[in-house]
Amino acid sequence: MFPQQNPQEKPIRVAVRRAVKTYEGGVEALRGVTLDFAAGTVTALVGRSGCGKTTLLNLCGAMDFPTSGEVLVAGRRTSELGDRELTALRREEIGFVFQFFQLLPSLTALENVELPLLLSGARKSEAIARERLRWVELEGKAEALPFQLSGGQMQRVAIARALVHDPKILVADEPTGNLDTASGDAVLKLIRRAADEFGAAVVMATHSAEAAAIADIRVRMRDGQIESVER
Amino acid sequence: MKLFRQLILRPFRGDLTRSLLTLISIALGVAVVIAIELAGDAATGSFESSLTTLLGKVDYEVTANGGVDETYIAALAALPLNARFAPAIEQPVVIVGGGSTTVYGIDVIAAGMNETGEFSTDKLETSAVLSSDLAARLEAKKGDSITLRGPHRTQTFAVQSIAEGQDTGWVGIDIAAAQDLLDMHGKLDRIEVFLGTGEDPGRAGEAIKKIVPRTYDVETPGARSEQNRRMLRAFRWNLRILSYISLLVGAFLIYNTIAVSVVRRRTEIGILRAIGTSSRGVLLMFLGEASMLGVLGSVLGIGLGRLLAAAILGMISDTVNALFTTSAPGAVELSAGTVVIAICTGTGVAFFSALIPAREAARVAPAEAMRRESREHETRLRVGRDLTLAVAAALAAVVLCQFGPIGGRPVLGYVATLCAVVATALVSPAFVTGVIGALRGTLKKVAGAAGLIAGRSLVTSLARTSIVVTALATAISMMVAVGIMVGSFRETVQVWLESQLRADIYLRAAGPASAGIYPPMDAAVPGIIRATPGVGDVDVFHAFQFHYKGTQATFGAGIMDIVRRRRSMRFLSGDSNEILASLPGQDRAIVSEPFANKHHVRAGQILRIPLGAREVALTVAGIYYDYANDKGFVLTDRGTLLRYLPDQPVTNIAVYLRPGAGAREAEQVRRDLETRLAEFPLNIAPNEVLRRGAIQVFDRTFAVTYALEGVAIIVATLGAANALLALVLDRRREIGLIRYLGAAKGQVRNMILTEAALLGLLAGLLGLALGTALSLVLIYVVNKQSFGWTIQFHPPALLLGGALLLVWAFTVLAGVYPARFAAKLEPAEVVHTE
Ligand SMILES: Nc1ncnc2c1ncn2[C@@H]1O[C@H](COP(=O)(O)OP(=O)(O)OP(=O)(O)O)[C@@H](O)[C@H]1O
Ligand SMILES: [Mg+2]
Repeated sequence: MFPQQNPQEKPIRVAVRRAVKTYEGGVEALRGVTLDFAAGTVTALVGRSGCGKTTLLNLCGAMDFPTSGEVLVAGRRTSELGDRELTALRREEIGFVFQFFQLLPSLTALENVELPLLLSGARKSEAIARERLRWVELEGKAEALPFQLSGGQMQRVAIARALVHDPKILVADEPTGNLDTASGDAVLKLIRRAADEFGAAVVMATHSAEAAAIADIRVRMRDGQIESVER
Repeated sequence: MKLFRQLILRPFRGDLTRSLLTLISIALGVAVVIAIELAGDAATGSFESSLTTLLGKVDYEVTANGGVDETYIAALAALPLNARFAPAIEQPVVIVGGGSTTVYGIDVIAAGMNETGEFSTDKLETSAVLSSDLAARLEAKKGDSITLRGPHRTQTFAVQSIAEGQDTGWVGIDIAAAQDLLDMHGKLDRIEVFLGTGEDPGRAGEAIKKIVPRTYDVETPGARSEQNRRMLRAFRWNLRILSYISLLVGAFLIYNTIAVSVVRRRTEIGILRAIGTSSRGVLLMFLGEASMLGVLGSVLGIGLGRLLAAAILGMISDTVNALFTTSAPGAVELSAGTVVIAICTGTGVAFFSALIPAREAARVAPAEAMRRESREHETRLRVGRDLTLAVAAALAAVVLCQFGPIGGRPVLGYVATLCAVVATALVSPAFVTGVIGALRGTLKKVAGAAGLIAGRSLVTSLARTSIVVTALATAISMMVAVGIMVGSFRETVQVWLESQLRADIYLRAAGPASAGIYPPMDAAVPGIIRATPGVGDVDVFHAFQFHYKGTQATFGAGIMDIVRRRRSMRFLSGDSNEILASLPGQDRAIVSEPFANKHHVRAGQILRIPLGAREVALTVAGIYYDYANDKGFVLTDRGTLLRYLPDQPVTNIAVYLRPGAGAREAEQVRRDLETRLAEFPLNIAPNEVLRRGAIQVFDRTFAVTYALEGVAIIVATLGAANALLALVLDRRREIGLIRYLGAAKGQVRNMILTEAALLGLLAGLLGLALGTALSLVLIYVVNKQSFGWTIQFHPPALLLGGALLLVWAFTVLAGVYPARFAAKLEPAEVVHTE
């Protein structure tokens, strides 16, 4: 529907082709979406509640699969991968940030950041986690438990965690939805830097104009379809 | 009502698995309580002699230690009373080729049975009536013959009739034939008194007492059953208390279930409150949920308990027969009263366990409805205060153990047990936090992310975790406590047997080997044994059951000189040699520890014991350790007994070989004795056989105990499964999140299994500590006060270690379903819902 344009010739990290997603109840959340997400680019998905943003993010994050069409993450067709390969894919290529419920309440900030590395059995996990925590300027809160952090701080810890394993793709679902403007700005800056410094392909669903403003590409969705793409 | 349906029933259905687990826990708890009650009733409810079948309902029984003199029948019959007096003999007897049974000797003519065709007058001496139970066992029918064997005479009887509907084995013969067969000329076991209509029982009783010697007992048959029941009371109480442990464990689990559903439905409760439900309404809702679980669980439990009762009845009656008295188990009967009590107990336990969480629900503010994120279970725990209370409870337990029994029962000991459990419950939160804190580094190293999260989330949901740990620990502690108690007891008994059973060969008359039954043997037997080559000392023993201050005990008389030389009896105090040497030729006796404890007897005191028509004053020379039964023994020298009861038959013989004889000689002598004594119905057993038999009886006695513990452990394991499932459901989003972060399904599974393992470990450690404390209470307070035994502390370490590992494995197994459930959760769904 929309011609593929990639002027900077950045590598495509996620490719969505004619993706249709019909949920079990018969709801058509996506109705033929084709879209590419390139390295170092922030793409914002905007649109009304229920238009299918989260659904599309889940497809990009290999957490869900299209009913028809295909999604390629890091060049691999997600619907063809087994559980083991999907887990490996998530461990190596994808980082997630959500609106609510970001951190495991029983773990400290540092442990939360370290968790993906622990799960994949990486070495020197603690040092790397500490370094990422410094990157989001929260090394002083390493031992704090989530309930001792503000919403903005939690979100920054979450971003540190999403980037701890140098993912090629960062999936963010309304990362500022629950934050005041100041904290939201800090979080958006980090997301921007994730694209610029880490070269991650950032896919972000948002309702906020500020968030949309930092994006390179704004995709407007409506009823499971792409309404417009704005660069 | 509609709200109730929507808010209680719907989630109830949703959490079906968890509700089912809770239901099963209550059902099992109630079932165990019911089963113990029913089986106990059935085992004790059948003391009434089957003689009533033959003779009708008896009003009074005249009995005496050492037997009743037959001549009193005539004296009694001369009384101006509207009453009938029937002589009766009730003795064990050997059936040639058919084991043994009870023989009843009755006055057939007086009972009018010759007229009803049950006996024929012309063949009175050789007619018999069989109980249907015995007839079935022997496959005998009317007209067949049956050969009975007395101490030195064998007699064949014709089966004249069969008494239908009998569930015990017996054979009835004419009184004269019985006296002949059993060598009881002029003697009776009792005189049965039947009052005519209109006769005043009180007056008749007084009149009878005036005729018979003062040492005779004149009692209603009910009194005898009552005596037996009293004797069993301590035994039943201990079982009962043990059975309530499962219910207690169930109570912890109800508490947990309701607490979980309160947390889970906080938002719903908030909405309810916002739209105008009173906090009272919310309280009632949750109490309603608990009561529903309680009623359903109890009903299930009653059915299950009825089945269980039938299964354990055999075990209980074995114990009753081996240790207390002869009784045939009755039928298991479920009375309306029991049903009501069971339902009330189950529902009450459910209701009261739900009270605290339900009150918490009632306190939820309407504003909670607006909260986006439902808070984690609020750990309103004040660890410091709880620890102080725990210390207080523990101290109370220690203090309570210092007092004696109340009404012959270790009531304060039981309360101390409860205090110890309460102390454990209070310590539990601090314990969980402490141990997991200590394991922090190790967990992460050993189990990686799974270990890290597992440990942490147990601490985060501390209130819940500590309840489950307490429930499991209580069940485990019971296992440990009883394990240590039984192990120590067993070791003590074994050491005692070692010193007690020093003879090489033991002989007793053939017959049922139940407590309180001492079949007599022929008077010629000791002489034959003494004349056998290779035999050294022959200890001749006369034992019989006697009444003392309303309870039963065993009176025994042996050759104390041989006992002194050959056995090593241990006394509470004093020199064994001196004490035993002081007995022959004197009115002196030694008593067993349980007897001394029961009757508060001290050395030097004088016992007045009715023997035959006389009352004999015996000075207590010493108190000896004994574990044969809890009714106790009074022992004198044989000469002393025979002075008062010259006709008392020999019941047991211990044969000591010449010093220096080995196993080969023992076997030779045993075979020799078997040939020489072939004409007498005797059991001849070498030392090892007797010793093994004694330990077998012991082990069988505690089989029920193990079964009860098993159920408590099962209940607790179900509780662990339940709690883990709740933890999983509560942390659905957390689990979804870690899947997003790259956790494989296997890692999620491992995380939950690690939690299960941690729960098991915590409960195991706490249970071991509590159990050890409880075992001390059981050994030094409860057992001592109920049975009067001194038990040496000997924990069976290996067995306990094995059992603990097994329980631990069970707990991990209990985590399998929740773990699989967690691994199957769809992350995309759980993270975004709510
Ligand atoms: N697991 C599911 N099962 C059934 N229907 C679903 C499921 N998840 C989402 N839907 C439906 O699919 C449609 C798209 O949902 P989606 O969550 O993608 O919207 P969204 O754009 O993220 O909305 P919002 O801005 O509110 O987050 C909605 O109509 C929603 O009700
Ligand atoms: Mg969404």
